[in-house]
Amino acid sequence: MKRAFVVLLALVFVFLSHMQSFAGEPMKELKVTVDKVIRILKDPALKKPDKKELRKRLLRDAISERFDFEEMAKRALARHWRKRTPEERKEFVRLFRGLLERTYLRRIEQYRDERIIYKDERIDPPYALVKTVVITSQSAEIPIEYRMIKEGNDWKVYDVTIEGVSLVNNYRRQFNRIIRSSSYEELVRRLKRKVG
Amino acid sequence: MENKKRYMLFVLVILLMLSFSPSKGVCGEDAGPDYLEEEQYLSIPDPLEPLNRVVFEFNDRLYFWVLKPLARGYSTVVPEDFRYAMGSFFHNITTPVRVVNSILQGRLRKAGVETLRFLLNTTGGVFGLNDFAGKDLGLKPPDDEDMGQTLGTYGMGHGFYIVWPVLGPSSLRDTIGIAGDGFLNPINYLAFKEAVLVRTVEFTNKTSLHIGEYEELKASAIDPYVSMQDAYLQYRNRKLKK
Repeated sequence: MKRAFVVLLALVFVFLSHMQSFAGEPMKELKVTVDKVIRILKDPALKKPDKKELRKRLLRDAISERFDFEEMAKRALARHWRKRTPEERKEFVRLFRGLLERTYLRRIEQYRDERIIYKDERIDPPYALVKTVVITSQSAEIPIEYRMIKEGNDWKVYDVTIEGVSLVNNYRRQFNRIIRSSSYEELVRRLKRKVG
Repeated sequence: MENKKRYMLFVLVILLMLSFSPSKGVCGEDAGPDYLEEEQYLSIPDPLEPLNRVVFEFNDRLYFWVLKPLARGYSTVVPEDFRYAMGSFFHNITTPVRVVNSILQGRLRKAGVETLRFLLNTTGGVFGLNDFAGKDLGLKPPDDEDMGQTLGTYGMGHGFYIVWPVLGPSSLRDTIGIAGDGFLNPINYLAFKEAVLVRTVEFTNKTSLHIGEYEELKASAIDPYVSMQDAYLQYRNRKLKK
């Protein structure tokens, strides 16, 4: 009787540990960040007009913990990245990051109690793909996928795909076009004009 | 008679297009480590670029000066819930487009789901104003099929990129698709004046539910024309795969 109980307990334990590994690290880590962002967005104390800058800073910090802007910049420049000097790369990452921050801050500040469902995850070290769906108040479903890469102990996002449109691919196309039709310097000029 | 002529012309155009079957418009352009089902980087010939850019600018002004103010005004008069209901209504009456294209792609299950949804929503959803099948019975709308996708599954490439006034980004293939789908849209069988009126309401209603999206694209882009073209291509490509 007692042995049967121990076996059962062992089985339950094995089962539970499997259950836990079901949501792997990339998805878990992504969820931590998304939850954090939503908490900031929902915080009534931060909604006051005089807290606007603080809120922006908190959001920016929460997101930069999980996003690898250098990896994004590198992929967006693709083969043009190789030709850049270390200083140029540094400057480019800073500008690209500024552009992305402006974009996503504006976008997530429109958050209106949408629900997020974590659908699927594929891991192929050091890469991972996490599929989520955002459900709007009108129960429309917007698929959002995160591409992640393992860096040290953390998984970092290097691309976001919304309804099939990859952010990095979209920028890659624009950057490539500008560099080819004029020059890298022109691209930097235009980025500066946009980001300031 | 008139209709038959138009139909013949349409078939002729399609046959013509298929005969010189343009390239797939997909070219690999590797960038660092690839991963799993990472999209191949898409590209599309754009021989009309100078003209397309002019039309793009025109659409930009049209949006900010006419369509957006119009949709804003419409939104203040028509409550949001009702605008979503109108959206459902128009989605419901264009069911023939999706059923026929599902069948043409051999997706009979999907055609069945669309038909069933049409029957349920037209009755239980009161003329399709409410997505009763999706919201109450869990029969969610499948991904839309249209003739552009049908031609795509038959192996036809995009051809080249086109920006249409008002309608925006498209390709040769998807333009043929839109023309073909026009025959399956019940609204087009109304008298001309009524059809124009209904299409205007449909368009304004739709615009009112998407205010801000174009602004986002423009704000995040360094070259909005290229960004829009790429977004269109990536979006259509994903639809084709689904």
